[in-house]
Amino acid sequence: MILQCSRIRNQELADIRKSGIKSFRDILVDESNILTWQGLIVPENPPYNKGAFRIEVNFPAEYPFKPPKINFKTKIYHPNVDEKGQVCLPIISAENWKPATKTDQVIEALINLVNEPEPEHPLRADLAEDYTKDRKKFMKNAEEFTKKNSEKRPAD
Amino acid sequence: MSDEEMEFSDDDYDDYYGGEYDGDVDHVDPQKNDPEYFHVACLTDTEVERLLNESVEQLSNSIQVTPSLAKLLLHMYNWNQIEIVAGYRQDCHKMLTSVHIKPATPPQQMTNNQQGESEATCPVCLAPMSPDYASHLTCGHTFCKDCWSMHFEVQIKQGMSTGIECMGNSCQVLAPEDFVVPLLKRPRLKEKYQQYAFSDYVRSHPQLRFCPGPNCNIVIQAKECRAKRVTCTACKSQFCYKCGGDYHAPTDCETIRCWLTKCADDSETANYISAHTKDVNIDSFQAVGPCKTVGEYEEIAYCPKCHICIEKNGGCNHMQCFNCKHDFCWMCLGCWKTHGSEYYECSRYKENPNIAHESAHAQAREALKKYLHYYERWENHSKSLKLEEETLAKIRERIQNKVMAGTGTWIDWQYLLDAAALLARCRYTLQNTYPFAYYLESGPRKDLFEYQQAQLEAEIENLSWKIERAEMTDRGDLENQMDIVEKRRTTLLTDFLQV
Repeated sequence: MILQCSRIRNQELADIRKSGIKSFRDILVDESNILTWQGLIVPENPPYNKGAFRIEVNFPAEYPFKPPKINFKTKIYHPNVDEKGQVCLPIISAENWKPATKTDQVIEALINLVNEPEPEHPLRADLAEDYTKDRKKFMKNAEEFTKKNSEKRPAD
Repeated sequence: MSDEEMEFSDDDYDDYYGGEYDGDVDHVDPQKNDPEYFHVACLTDTEVERLLNESVEQLSNSIQVTPSLAKLLLHMYNWNQIEIVAGYRQDCHKMLTSVHIKPATPPQQMTNNQQGESEATCPVCLAPMSPDYASHLTCGHTFCKDCWSMHFEVQIKQGMSTGIECMGNSCQVLAPEDFVVPLLKRPRLKEKYQQYAFSDYVRSHPQLRFCPGPNCNIVIQAKECRAKRVTCTACKSQFCYKCGGDYHAPTDCETIRCWLTKCADDSETANYISAHTKDVNIDSFQAVGPCKTVGEYEEIAYCPKCHICIEKNGGCNHMQCFNCKHDFCWMCLGCWKTHGSEYYECSRYKENPNIAHESAHAQAREALKKYLHYYERWENHSKSLKLEEETLAKIRERIQNKVMAGTGTWIDWQYLLDAAALLARCRYTLQNTYPFAYYLESGPRKDLFEYQQAQLEAEIENLSWKIERAEMTDRGDLENQMDIVEKRRTTLLTDFLQV
């Protein structure tokens, strides 16, 4: 199963690299731990377009029959990502997961969530409240936080 | 003595009373005399399976579908055969899509397969698959059999069975039993699948309930889903059929749920307040709460007359000071004489009639005071029930000694055990009248309820008093008291048990 799982991921990795999406790049696969990828999310929408965010994708041994897990390694001020970097993404929840779902679809859903927060099901209720009730304050805080904590955006 | 004997005495009691009632009229409807009457059957899993299979067979014959499909339809429609047959005859496509047996939109031809048989790849493992090694559900999403097997295995390990869906992106089509089972490779997995599916079927069946007793495999069958008491024949658990929780007449399921949640949230506060606000109680309330302190000293009160310290060591709330022989009520510390008289008021909460004009703070305090009144009584009866269990143990010991000493036989003393069982049953009902009263709106109905509750409470305490002193009271007197208590309980339930 591990072999099958790694074969699938290698092909998916090749597909993603080939597709050349700008919002997800610098994909690294740890040689010692082939079940983990790292990559850089480069959002387009403010306030997150002031920086880039490193994420980690963890594949379970049962992949693709069980969903991958995603964690933010870079701190992000976002209603759907908690302080530990855990993110609530419906497409990879155990109940919704479909084995036919491909990793690029997961990444796409993640990028959409970063660009358009979903305050209806937040992980950080305080941020979600600011986001819906006091957008100005939220944007100001998020921008400052992004400038301070996020990674540099790639040049191109 | 073992628990079995205790149960036995309980059963005996039923027969005894049932017989007495039946003596008057031939073939009376048991429902008329007993507001708690409820007919159920305790089934083993083989019996349940037979029952379910009969329904499946009937449906599969009447609408000409495979048994596997019929089973899924029944499960999704809560085993309502009439509705399924009518719906299916009207529009079978609509019915099958509504339960995710067929996709909402007709399947698109899989381009994968059309490209040429040798080139088809499985979208999950991305490996080539030959057509005879591929399969799909009604939605047409085709995958290789290895991936299906693996998918089912992972799903079953997560406890899924009837709800396993297709692997396709956001496809909700369900995999029926006859599709899943042949693809399961290990017999252990098949067993697990059948077991989970069986649980799902019982849960969706409106006439079936799993017995909530620990490690009990019995399924209870009842024609109607009502909040009535069920006693499992195998594990002897007693519970409410409708909600599966502890039996709670006369309170209904919704109310008891609110009450228990409230108690879980507030009980620590309640304990703290009742333990630490004694002085406030004396100043602002006319009734002085029992002088309880936290923890082990909770069962201690001061005699309201001579102020000597008294420990409560039985369930009866009618207290008698060992020092000055003053009779008083454990709950409100009032004189027992006024309790014993026609109008017993300890159970009733007196609301402040001007509360609407008071400040928000005063209203909050009043709300808390009201809650504490009911909570303390609820909690107190629960403690009394436990203490009366100890009394029962003592009674058994005494009977044992008497029988050994040649004073009467087991049969002669049986009435004492009957009395204790009846007391437990009545006090249990009484305990459950407090949440009912708490949520009941003021008015004539509440007045009547509280009147009956007070009557029941007074008679229960009389019975408890007599049982604790069974040597001193004679048998006729005790049996008379039992009759009175049970009549009060039945009257209250007949008037207020509406489930």
